Amino acid sequence: MSEQDFVERMAKFPGSEVKLLRKGQIAMKVPADKGHEAAEYLKKMGFTHLVAIEYVDWIKDNEFELVYNLFSYSSKMRVFLKVRISRDNPEYITFMDLWPVAMTHEREAHEMMGIKFKGNPNLTPFILEDWKEIPPMRKDFDSRKFVKEKYDSIPFVEDEP
Amino acid sequence: MVDEKEKIVSEDMGVQVDKKEDIEMRSFGTIKRWATKRSLWMVHYCTGCGGIELAPLMTSRYDMERFGMHPMVTPRQSDLLLITGYVNIKTLKRIIRTYEQMPDPKYVVAFGSCPINGGPYWDSHVTINHLDKYLPVDIYIAGCMPRPQSIVKAFDDLMDMIQEGKADGYLRYKKYYDKYKANQEKIFRKWW
Amino acid sequence: MSQTKTIDLFFGPQHPGITGNFSVRVTVDGDTVVKAQVIPGFLHRGFEKLMEMRHWIQGPALICRICVPDPDHSETGYATAVERLAGIEVPERGRYIRSLMLEMSRLSAYLFYFGGYAGSIGLYTVGQWGVGDRDYILDLFEELTGARVYHIFNFPGGPRWDTPPGFEDKVDKLMDFLEKRLKEFDKLYFNNRVFIKRARGTAPMTKAYAQKMEVTGPNARATGWAIDVRKDDPYAAYPDLDFDIITQKEGDNYARVIQRRMEFEQSIDLIRQITRKLRKMPRGNVRVTPNPLHWKIPPGEAYGAVESSKGELGYYVVSDGGIGPYRMQARGPSISHGVQVYEEMVVGQRVADVAALMFSLDVCPPDIDR
Repeated sequence: MSEQDFVERMAKFPGSEVKLLRKGQIAMKVPADKGHEAAEYLKKMGFTHLVAIEYVDWIKDNEFELVYNLFSYSSKMRVFLKVRISRDNPEYITFMDLWPVAMTHEREAHEMMGIKFKGNPNLTPFILEDWKEIPPMRKDFDSRKFVKEKYDSIPFVEDEP
Repeated sequence: MVDEKEKIVSEDMGVQVDKKEDIEMRSFGTIKRWATKRSLWMVHYCTGCGGIELAPLMTSRYDMERFGMHPMVTPRQSDLLLITGYVNIKTLKRIIRTYEQMPDPKYVVAFGSCPINGGPYWDSHVTINHLDKYLPVDIYIAGCMPRPQSIVKAFDDLMDMIQEGKADGYLRYKKYYDKYKANQEKIFRKWW
Repeated sequence: MSQTKTIDLFFGPQHPGITGNFSVRVTVDGDTVVKAQVIPGFLHRGFEKLMEMRHWIQGPALICRICVPDPDHSETGYATAVERLAGIEVPERGRYIRSLMLEMSRLSAYLFYFGGYAGSIGLYTVGQWGVGDRDYILDLFEELTGARVYHIFNFPGGPRWDTPPGFEDKVDKLMDFLEKRLKEFDKLYFNNRVFIKRARGTAPMTKAYAQKMEVTGPNARATGWAIDVRKDDPYAAYPDLDFDIITQKEGDNYARVIQRRMEFEQSIDLIRQITRKLRKMPRGNVRVTPNPLHWKIPPGEAYGAVESSKGELGYYVVSDGGIGPYRMQARGPSISHGVQVYEEMVVGQRVADVAALMFSLDVCPPDIDR
């Protein structure tokens, strides 16, 4: 099956916006409530390998974008399944039932971007420890200012003359 | 001449040193320091990327054991703590735990640019930029990453410093314990 | 068994049986692990955040630090993603030099791996030999790039410069040496009774499980699943090179180590193919670089993956047309086999195999933490 066939088949999914980015990479945008359904649809098409769950903070649109990076070993194609959720109440459903390893990726997205995944039982602290600020990968988290305030303000322990 | 460092140790332990003992202490200290510098055991803890250059150093090509140095699995039997690279706050907590378990005298060697001033991670939200604010460092090795030759040179210098009594990091840690602890507490919200 | 009989052991981060700065909390009942929880994060630096504050051209200097034993794959993964996004075509010689570096990096990572696994079962000579031989590879890297460990050499657009004169001959000479050494490794290690007794049948992974848990790389191939990013999503000079995907069947510790040993031989063969080709090619044209001072990448997103020594290592890059990435996210291979897979596979193993399993899966903590 050629790339164009894949694009056509994906475009049949209701509400989807499909774009062939380059050779072997397709982007597919679906509304947030159809995300799980679209993932199942793609999995049936042969996109069985969940490479990663990428998360992008589009602060201008006040939205988070979740990118499910799927790969098909049979047709050597890659698709970015994109859903956008509101930044004010970042909550989405888990994809653990389709790909068990989504648990780790969701755990990371929860910690780094503050997105809650309904149905994921393991949204515990993963990489950071005692983190009380806003999640660090958000665009409005100013890492330089934070470093200046937290680490650079600490005095050196000086020797007495 | 009894140097300042010896005096501090004696005061800390509450030992009254009279003149005769003073002389013995001095000669004993020289021998002790000579023995210490020839059998530095390091804690087997790779805290960062510099740990990769420890492997060639420990094995056949650069062979650290010819200096009497050897990796040791427990901090309680080690003299040397290597901070191999950047220090994340989560790691710093473990480093301090490890350091405090080590018996005196103990020495800290900081590898690479990151413990000096943050290196390429100077604006990262989790790496502390200056290790010296939280732990006394005896010797720094610049570069990213330091080559095995420069690490060997640093160990050589550290041995000279120990012989001369200049490697006094553990004494400084005792002397300014409150200040070090205050700095550490600013970083960690809770200890454990 | 009553609850009181189990105890919790903290395995790491200060522990010699751990691959780097990493921790596992294992609950043991007697000598058997009943539960395990990995605690990553000791090596977190927030690369993804830092990249947003850097220019495109500053990326390679930072990105190679993601996986320490195997830095060239990180650089090339990022470079591939940026090239795909910007539509840059690397000249042929540049692609070959890139592949040469990647295979050399793979060899050095595997030598490290042999020593690591052998150390965990008490065969320390292998570590001495492996790391000692790895240094010859690092010497060649130093001659080519000027650095031993972090090369910062594979920029988007191609490698920084051409190989020095006579480099190909030196590489070939080293390959002859390594091939000879591999026979000695066979005697010392791969045919060693201690290794066979300890590794065979320990912690087997089935092909179905590997597919379910998205395991990639040599660990997946050791179960009989023929996947390889070099074939599936080709990059650098791999489409032009002649090689087959090697697989094992059993998927246990033994198969995982033997898988790497076979791939070691394959890498030597690939390097010979590359040097043969490099000698025939005209020198000089290795890279295309846009003006580095005013380098803009068109808006969009791209993913570039490489087959690192641990599995699929990929970079997802988003550009908004600015001077640096809007967002960059790395997909480390260990995120699958180092967290959930390890947690599940270690259950039922003896305490002595906790470290052995970690070394045999080749968990690289910095690519989980980033």
